[in-house]
Amino acid sequence: MESKLIDHLFRYHSGKMVSVLTRIFGLSHLEIIEDAVQDTFIKASISWRHQQPENPEAWLTKAAKNRVLDIFRKLKAEKNLLPNLQQSRDFIAVNELFLDTEIEDAQLRMIFTACHPNLDPRDRISFALKTVSGFSIKEISSALLTKEETVKKRLSRARKTIKESSISFHIPQGKALPERLESVMEVLYLIFNEGFHSNSKENLIRKELCGEAMRLCKMLLKNEHTRISAAYALFALMCFHSARLEAKINSANEILDLKHQDRNLWHSPLIQLGNTMMTKAVIDTEYSCYHYEAAIAAEHLRASHFDETDWAKILYWYECLYVIQPIPIHVLTMAVVCLQNLDFAKAKTYLDQVEATDLAQRSYLYYGTLSDYYFAIKNIEKAITHLDLALATVTNSLEKEYLEKKRAVLIQKKE
Amino acid sequence: MKEFMMIFVGADYADLGLSPEELQNRMGKWFAWGNKMEEAGILRGGNALNPQIRRIVGKNRTVTDLSSAEVKEIIGGYYTVVAEDFDAVQEIAQDFPDYDLGGTVEIREVTVFEDH
Repeated sequence: MESKLIDHLFRYHSGKMVSVLTRIFGLSHLEIIEDAVQDTFIKASISWRHQQPENPEAWLTKAAKNRVLDIFRKLKAEKNLLPNLQQSRDFIAVNELFLDTEIEDAQLRMIFTACHPNLDPRDRISFALKTVSGFSIKEISSALLTKEETVKKRLSRARKTIKESSISFHIPQGKALPERLESVMEVLYLIFNEGFHSNSKENLIRKELCGEAMRLCKMLLKNEHTRISAAYALFALMCFHSARLEAKINSANEILDLKHQDRNLWHSPLIQLGNTMMTKAVIDTEYSCYHYEAAIAAEHLRASHFDETDWAKILYWYECLYVIQPIPIHVLTMAVVCLQNLDFAKAKTYLDQVEATDLAQRSYLYYGTLSDYYFAIKNIEKAITHLDLALATVTNSLEKEYLEKKRAVLIQKKE
Repeated sequence: MKEFMMIFVGADYADLGLSPEELQNRMGKWFAWGNKMEEAGILRGGNALNPQIRRIVGKNRTVTDLSSAEVKEIIGGYYTVVAEDFDAVQEIAQDFPDYDLGGTVEIREVTVFEDH
């Protein structure tokens, strides 16, 4: 007998059930709910060892519904904590909450909760991955390269904040919606970037984080209130980047930059999907930073060879991006673009606007770019000094290997 | 051919903080292992055990209720298989999915009482 389970069934179902049960019982019972859902999976994983049910999803949903009854009893026994619940929601109503559309609605509420501005920005990602995406503490810690202890702290701090500021479990409406959506998109963007720029050597983790961010972003696009142009642009951006995921790492597990990627490995269905999303994103003429980032990513994908990249156009998009998002990393990137375009003088003017400290833990990017600049103007000596500075500040082992290779090349040139 | 029991000893899944994804993957491995034994026609039976324990000890018949969290290791289940000898069962037990969780497989031969 073959296994009938679809990939990630448990993980996806976990987020669904936690959300639906939270809608029924409220955020204040989140911990009990998460434990109850976890129990269902442990039970399933043992009783399905020999035989799997005809319809595993229905089985899990039914088990979760039964847990509803258990929780009812447990809470009632604990402190009579269920005012009016039985009157206001009879069991027919509870059944309706398990319909597909209602499950999606509940998940969206959970996403908005996880990304609530009252939560510390660092807590949002961990909390979203745990509650919406069904990651374990261990999985979050390895995905974010954070200690398990830290993840635990973030989760409990998030729960505490939710309780203390009595955040309500709903999809915000009216004036509150745009700001809250902004926060949601930011978290999804960060989750995606954690995957795409992951320091983890494990390719699987990258893909899963990127996949999760895309799945959650898709949920925004399914709902008529959250389906805004910036969300389409964000999804397009994720498509464009994901299209290159396979090509980013070679068989020896080394990072390949755009120049050295095998463009035949770029996944064209994702590029097409990104283009379709982009068409929807630009119906509205007000552009977000995701619009410009997507435009930049698309521009890279358009070149069939690295040498054919339209750097002038890319620089233009970065200038636009910098206007609405004036942060140092963009200036640095504009310097990189100028170097590619062999406009060294302009590159220097950008480099002069940035300092290493502006980039905090990513200061190695600054030193690396300066090294590239000096190499381009044939000052090998200075190129090496700055590469050494980059090596001294880099923490990511893949990036480090990449820089070390570059250094070896420089040393050879020098001799 | 003799009958052997493979007894699985280790931590309870609930105490390990496994994620839904890990649980699903692990279940897939158990499923595949069971299938393999079944197809080879060597599987005679087996069960998984719930983690609650009631223990009765000594001549006073002292009763204690324990949860998996209170004991270091717990018997999680067993399979009975037919095989030539211990070495053959050891080979079968290679596919036990939970070694990485610190799990143990104990192989015991089932005693046969012959009619005299």
